[in-house]
Amino acid sequence: MPDDPTPNRLTVEDTALDVVRRGTGRPILALHGLQSADPGAPWVDLLSRHHEIIAPSHPGFGDSKRPDDFDTVYDLVHLYLALLESLPHEKVVLLGFSFGGWLAAEMAAACCHRIDKLILVAPFGLKLGDRESRDILDIFNAHPDTVRAAEWHDPDRFAPDFNTMTDAALVRYARDRDALCLYGFQPYMYNPQLKRWLARINVPTLVLWGASDRIVTPEYGRAYASLIPGARFTVIDAAGHHPEIEQSDRFAGHVSSFIARGKQ
Amino acid sequence: METWWQCEIPYPFVPQHVLDAADSVRASLPNHWCDPKIAADLYDEVLDEFLLCDDEGLNVLAIEHHAGINSLMGANPMFVGILARQTRKARILSLGTLVSLRPDPVRIAEEYATADVMSRGRLEIGFVKSGGTEMPSNHTNPVGNLERYWEAIDLIRKTLSHHDGPFSWEGRYFTHRHVNIWPRPWQQPHPRLWSATGDPYTAAEVGRRGMVHVLVLRGPDGTKRAYEAHRRARAEAGLPKVSTDNFAYAAFVYAGETEEEGRAGGEKLLWFLNTSLKSAPQHSKFLPGTAPAEFAPQIYRSAPPPGATPDMTNAEKGVVPASQNARRLMSLGVDDAMAQGILFCGTPDSVYRQIMDFYDKVGGFGHLAMIGRSGFMTHEQSVKGIKMFSREVAPRLREVKPIIPG
Repeated sequence: MPDDPTPNRLTVEDTALDVVRRGTGRPILALHGLQSADPGAPWVDLLSRHHEIIAPSHPGFGDSKRPDDFDTVYDLVHLYLALLESLPHEKVVLLGFSFGGWLAAEMAAACCHRIDKLILVAPFGLKLGDRESRDILDIFNAHPDTVRAAEWHDPDRFAPDFNTMTDAALVRYARDRDALCLYGFQPYMYNPQLKRWLARINVPTLVLWGASDRIVTPEYGRAYASLIPGARFTVIDAAGHHPEIEQSDRFAGHVSSFIARGKQ
Repeated sequence: METWWQCEIPYPFVPQHVLDAADSVRASLPNHWCDPKIAADLYDEVLDEFLLCDDEGLNVLAIEHHAGINSLMGANPMFVGILARQTRKARILSLGTLVSLRPDPVRIAEEYATADVMSRGRLEIGFVKSGGTEMPSNHTNPVGNLERYWEAIDLIRKTLSHHDGPFSWEGRYFTHRHVNIWPRPWQQPHPRLWSATGDPYTAAEVGRRGMVHVLVLRGPDGTKRAYEAHRRARAEAGLPKVSTDNFAYAAFVYAGETEEEGRAGGEKLLWFLNTSLKSAPQHSKFLPGTAPAEFAPQIYRSAPPPGATPDMTNAEKGVVPASQNARRLMSLGVDDAMAQGILFCGTPDSVYRQIMDFYDKVGGFGHLAMIGRSGFMTHEQSVKGIKMFSREVAPRLREVKPIIPG
């Protein structure tokens, strides 16, 4: 796979995206969360054994440039709906993590005809609590130690260490934060209208959640899944907001078996 | 050179152990530590000091900061309104309502026009980019702040200068369907505009727009570089040269009868640096949009990676993020602050020499924004400093007339 000549750029509607592409098989379009697509992530290797992984970095994240007038979730949703239309596959599995899970939910609520199955991993996007209770930890307004503890089940093992990261990795990390803040600041990481429209989703849906996630809790996840007709909700133990990183084997197992279920 | 006296009205009366334990003395310190009776006394004292400046021939300057021990001037337009009514001669600089934090620039223009008319044309309007803890305190996205800043200024300027009935604005950040304020401003087409910035890129835009350019506590090197960026941008745009009247510098200033008295006053002013800048990492070094992502290696690490060499990127580009500037300032003592051109203090002769020495180092400036009271300085000490400065230093500075250097 390291010598896979697949190009790492994907152009949609004049917007060039940095993309991780790997493997062959039933295709999965993966939309990343807080951080841009990571070609070194073990879950990519695991799932690419039986699937074609297409994992772009959103405009402004990673090495994907952001057009000047491109600064809302609306832009991202339309970009990825356009991407779905432009892919050669009739249908793809849509997999969204965290912030990218919000995008995936918006896309599926808008239009499911190019979506094979939907998998949401600790997705943002909804306002469920009352007006004085925040559903999603404000990572831009909480102490980094608080965010670290909320984000990871085992932070000492998995949380990024800025002192040992390369310059390039730190620049990428900062770009990702800037972009996430731009898109998700107000209202913070949700669309007040989305809750109403989730019932339109008419493809098999799996909602995965890390049991230790305190960025956004499994209780939120359970309520989220209940708003999508027929959605399954599964909790992965010993994982925080990134079960695909902290429990990559089990994560990949859940995803693979869900995709394999049924006639398709 | 004109002098503009200011006091940010800090609230220093929070126990030190509380400040030490807090990760920020701004934005998140519970306001039960702010006693409204003490705050009322502070407002009385400082407003009286502003009026004394008016009597003594100094101009006045009102800043805006939010939700911290560093300043009780969160509502700048209220101070500007009071000063417009209660002063008689002083020019009043609002530096300023933080325009990128407010949702409606038209309302800001209305407030400014009102104050300009109340003061019969003594208002000057300054703009500050804001950042850091001001962002959460005002529920503002820190990403895109600068773009919002310039659009707000454009809309305020048009609102103040448009007199032919309603116009509409459908900008990227602000929309307003029906703009037609009453009163229009006293000064035509609008009061003089100022902008505070230390970064060369914003400085260039300030230059192209012909605004008065203020540097705050940046020291001679950063100040000179910003002034030069301002002038160079004008030259490159084919715009006429500007005089020193387009440049201003803000520093701590205290003149006493003796060197010791002057230094004692100066030392009290440094409270602002040593105590009131502390802010949480999520509101400073990790705040998105504050510095270009390329600076993350210097900003994010708490220790250099193994084998690293000093990175001078910022020094060469002349860009030091405000959070880094704040960290540099927090540990300064009187001698260091004087050596760095942040504090001018001593006898009137000495203060005058220090200011003119700084003037020569940066290529001249026409306005001194004088932070004359801070921290635990008493009303009596502040009054004494105002009188000493206005009688013994300001007249000499007034003889320094605007010139076009070079």
